[in-house]
Amino acid sequence: MSVDSAIATTEVSKRYGDALAVDTLDLDVRRGEIYAFLGKNGAGKTTTIRMLLGLIRPTGGHVEVLGKRVGSGVTDVFARVGYLVETATAYPNLTVRENLDIQRRLTGAPRAAVAEAIELMRLGENADRRAGVLSLGYKQRLALARALLHRPELLILDEPANGLDPAGIVEIRELLRSLTSERGVTVFMSSHILAEVAHLADRIGIVDEGRLLEEIDVEELRARERGHVRVGVSEPERAAGLLADAGFARVEPADGHLRVFDAEERVPEIARVIVGAGIALTELAPAHEDLESYFLRVTGDVE
Amino acid sequence: MFAQVLATELLKLRRSKVTWFSLIALSLGPLGIALFMWIVREPARAAQLGLLGTKANLAGLEATWPSYFSMLTLVVGIGGMLMLAFIVAFVFGREYADGTAKNLLALPVGRMWFVLAKLVVAAVWWFALVVVVLVEALAIGRVVGLPGFSPGLALGGAGDALMAAGVAYLLAPVVAWITTLGRGYLPPLGFALAMLALGNVFAKTGWALWFPWSIVPLSIGMVGQPVQTLPLGSFVVVALTFLAGIVATVLQMRYADNTQ
Repeated sequence: MSVDSAIATTEVSKRYGDALAVDTLDLDVRRGEIYAFLGKNGAGKTTTIRMLLGLIRPTGGHVEVLGKRVGSGVTDVFARVGYLVETATAYPNLTVRENLDIQRRLTGAPRAAVAEAIELMRLGENADRRAGVLSLGYKQRLALARALLHRPELLILDEPANGLDPAGIVEIRELLRSLTSERGVTVFMSSHILAEVAHLADRIGIVDEGRLLEEIDVEELRARERGHVRVGVSEPERAAGLLADAGFARVEPADGHLRVFDAEERVPEIARVIVGAGIALTELAPAHEDLESYFLRVTGDVE
Repeated sequence: MFAQVLATELLKLRRSKVTWFSLIALSLGPLGIALFMWIVREPARAAQLGLLGTKANLAGLEATWPSYFSMLTLVVGIGGMLMLAFIVAFVFGREYADGTAKNLLALPVGRMWFVLAKLVVAAVWWFALVVVVLVEALAIGRVVGLPGFSPGLALGGAGDALMAAGVAYLLAPVVAWITTLGRGYLPPLGFALAMLALGNVFAKTGWALWFPWSIVPLSIGMVGQPVQTLPLGSFVVVALTFLAGIVATVLQMRYADNTQ
């Protein structure tokens, strides 16, 4: 784990009977970044988050959070961590303010923190209502207020946009971005919606069946979205080598054909290199990939 | 830190409706006993009201203060074992029922403190109930006009009831452990009923002195000897049950996976 890591997992696994929920996962979340942990339902996102928080114990490997190894009896580090796991929950008979006051006492935050969290999450009108009567969206706001109340350095949020309306989603996005830029907070968030995190995250880790399939900078993802040239050839490996030698910086094999990035202006040159080497060219077409199809391709759901 | 955890647990207790329901439930105890006393004293009037059928079950019962107190001890001891299971199941189980257990587990607070604070809250709730019921019982006994009252008798009766309440409380941590193990209300309540039944079975065998759930009925004189003649070993068994329950609950909270 480097000193810049907020979260580092080393070959962490979790097995339930025969089912492997998380499989030798290596994560390295840098301080100050927004890292989105992206995967379908059941991919292992929540299980991973539970292990980061010490709610469940890994079957193998280990977890470090803010430089401290997470394990039974480790508590101090959680004064610097705010979290939300799966559904937002609160004591239904207690008011919003009382629920937050419990969090304040348990984290040792100052009294003013409760009012601050209420204001930050725009819970003012509901502050003295019982949590049990809140709508789903306001319950989510209360859970986020609880996570933020003690001004943590690291936020671990499981599907933070759950139950929020579109305006609420934008608001949370802005809030997380400002916490990162103004307070240097690190955000680790899970989601199953790529479009949601592509607007917010610095890096995205794609997880499926408990394995980390790919980690990608959002900038790079955007470049992919910009476009590539799809090249069908009889000898993909040889063709890829020739194209690389010809100065095409990014050539990737994909399902029996090649994707050549940043090359839309150089289509004739691609044809020349391939045909000149005696390789059969079966397809040559500019294409672009939207974020969703990229995600589906990486997780193996579509070709 | 323990003081802060305790403050949060007391707030949860204060805001709960269940607290007040339990008071109503246990308050029915002295009312019921007083009704029996009245039936014994006034069989003719009870018959007029259609209550005579109950008289068959009341053979041997005297409408006096000593008899009233011994029945009260029974209610607090045996009823208390069930009521305490209910209280502990609620105090621990609500975190699973409301889905809030996960919110307590990644905090700068050792999980042991939650177990201890909840057990203290259960004790505060339980003994507050017992005291309220004792005061109510005294008032009802006066209204019914039972003979044979003396301050010494009242103190002795209250002492026996508190003793029974205390012994019953020593079994509560095991129920807490079952609650954290089963993550809900039903397992501890089922467990308490099963133990009560087993305690009754063992009370009729030679093992009664060594089985914790038989020791409570024994200690209040419901079966066999009254409390004074129980061997020290029985108290050691109950004390060990108390400690084992706390340790098991702390270990469960500390090491078990929470997949809520």
